[in-house]
Amino acid sequence: MSRVRGFTARQTFTALAIVLVVVLVALLVYLYFFLRDGGIPQPKPTSSPGVESVWELYGPGEGDLPRFDGPMGVVVSEDGRVYVTDSGNNRICVFDTQGRFQSTFGSFGIAKPSQGATATYEPGSLNYPVGLDLDDDGNVYVASFYNDSIEVFDAEGAPLRRFPDPNTVVGRGGSGYGGTGIAVTDVAVHGDRVYATDSYQVVVFTREGEFVEQWGKPGAGEGDLDHPNGIAVSADGEVVYVSDTNHGRVTAFTPAGEVIWQVGTIPEGMDDRTVGELQLPRGLAVDSDGSILVADAFSFEVVRISAEGEVLARYGARGVESGQWNFANDVGVFRSFALIADKGNGRVQMVRLTR
Amino acid sequence: MAVLARAMKGRRTHLIVSTRRLLIGGVLCIAMLGVVSPAHAYDETSTGRPCAGCHGASVNDPAGPHGGYTATSKKCATCHSVHEAPADGIVLLPAATVLATCQTCHDGTGGKGVYGTIYARTSQQPVARHTMLDTAADPITAIPGGDGVGGGTRTAAFSGTAGGLTCSDCHSPHGSNLVDPFTGDRARSATDTAGLGSLSNFSSTRLLRQRPTSTDAAYASVTKYGSDWCAACHAGRLSWHELYNHPVEAATTYAGTGSAFTYESVARLTGVGASTTELGSLGRNNFGYVMPDPRTTQQSGHEPICQQCHEDARSVGDVTARTVDATEVFNITALDGAAAGDNPRYQVFPHESDNDAFLIETDNDLCLNCHKQPRG
Repeated sequence: MSRVRGFTARQTFTALAIVLVVVLVALLVYLYFFLRDGGIPQPKPTSSPGVESVWELYGPGEGDLPRFDGPMGVVVSEDGRVYVTDSGNNRICVFDTQGRFQSTFGSFGIAKPSQGATATYEPGSLNYPVGLDLDDDGNVYVASFYNDSIEVFDAEGAPLRRFPDPNTVVGRGGSGYGGTGIAVTDVAVHGDRVYATDSYQVVVFTREGEFVEQWGKPGAGEGDLDHPNGIAVSADGEVVYVSDTNHGRVTAFTPAGEVIWQVGTIPEGMDDRTVGELQLPRGLAVDSDGSILVADAFSFEVVRISAEGEVLARYGARGVESGQWNFANDVGVFRSFALIADKGNGRVQMVRLTR
Repeated sequence: MAVLARAMKGRRTHLIVSTRRLLIGGVLCIAMLGVVSPAHAYDETSTGRPCAGCHGASVNDPAGPHGGYTATSKKCATCHSVHEAPADGIVLLPAATVLATCQTCHDGTGGKGVYGTIYARTSQQPVARHTMLDTAADPITAIPGGDGVGGGTRTAAFSGTAGGLTCSDCHSPHGSNLVDPFTGDRARSATDTAGLGSLSNFSSTRLLRQRPTSTDAAYASVTKYGSDWCAACHAGRLSWHELYNHPVEAATTYAGTGSAFTYESVARLTGVGASTTELGSLGRNNFGYVMPDPRTTQQSGHEPICQQCHEDARSVGDVTARTVDATEVFNITALDGAAAGDNPRYQVFPHESDNDAFLIETDNDLCLNCHKQPRG
């Protein structure tokens, strides 16, 4: 056994072993965080207030339709699948959390043809898909706006079911064309409940599509709704957040439709000069700390509202650069990141909101 | 730790060197992790979000984008972008064309939509529409009945791409120089609290320009929506071309007593089965589409305005009695004509229609609203 600079071989071996153990532990720690965030690239600073950019996608980048056409919804599964409603192209695009394209599913089909016309709908058809959400099994619920129904797919994109029947009156009535179905703009799934925004109300179904109840109505009073375009449920299922879009406010409801709080004020007309905290709130999502992230299309910001109904922060600015948006329509959350359906720029961005 | 202690029994200087190596190695490992991993260096629970008070200047904006610009120039930025507009776009709008810009918001999710609604709902293309392709390849420049002298088609330079017709030819997105508000068919808001089934009156300018197609003062200015507004483009359809045209009431040609009919003021039936009339808006019911024979005093000497024949397709009147029966009452039971019994159904006039030439009814049904069935 030779000696190295005064150390015995045993001492040298021991020291090397310690270094190796430290390196191994460090490597494990690194792998833990790497895998935890799915290998998401390091966020980069932007000039946009409170926003760091991770990546931005303009579409699958391949196939007959390589680019998005006005993407309006985004949601991310626990295992890191990013689902995007490519609204103008009537499909769902799937990416991983590093922004790599995986697949598409859904196709165009009209469910409610006029008399004498041929229905082009078949299971899995979409007609201007807008919002979407996932259940605990990873199934994808898509608001198929012009088909007046929700289309459900499994995680791989195979069609499972559709509800409500777009040709049947829902409950005491909905805003689907001809009074049947619902003019659904967004969905939120929690447990066995599916909450859907209709033009002036929220309609609740089971995951299998059975009608449960409906609440909300037109009007200018507390809890009244005017074309809500976003809905999300708190982690404990006790609060349903609704973007009351044309009223310029976000309302927190109990699952039974009782108002808990509201943020924003209803504009009184085109020349209303009152200060509104929200301009045109669209899609929203619940962050991991319980706060709500709202895509405000007309202020060109993502607004963070506390679980108690206090505006906490505003992120981003109008533009085409990374971390900026044009008429953002939806927000998704994945661990410490936010995903923005940047409709006007025809892209989806993953960002980190830094304040 | 015992192994470590035994290793430390060596000379102190070597121990110091060894410790340094360990420290350096540790620092390098940590540095490596810090550079490569995005996750543990940034955590959503430690980003120090600012509290209330971080509101941007945009909270001072008025609520709607169409109007109120004198309060703050920031409102302009809802539609116009100084540096980020598309390279092939116009007037710094977010999309390449005026039509695409309008569709950014008016895609149906904030209402029932405008262009594309009929096809999306029925899988059938509309039969008639004010087409605005807004493309350089095939701009819409022809105006049927636009020739105010000969009554034929004329071409015009509109404000869309390559001189084609576009939204802003009829609507002022800035809310300036608008016609007077009128009560139309389409109900877009409700303030009642009775539930989904009831509506409040809805009077609006629809952002219609006083001078459709132009801001040029040389063009006629029309403050009241009605035939004169249509005739700003379709001048050849007015009554002085009797040889070809059905008589039509317009302020510019009306020679009777009182005021010419406008959309907001026509002689309409007073109710189901009625043969008497009252002055009121053509919108919100079907009572204004029937002119009993013989005419009522209020209708005597008047002709119908354009919209009494051209509006959203609907079912109007009892063809024998020339009244409106109970099954044909304009009946919006939910907003925007969504309910099955709504009449009319689409409420997208004058953008699209499933009837030819935007006629409210077709063939004899239309004529017999006002004329008796011929004998012999």
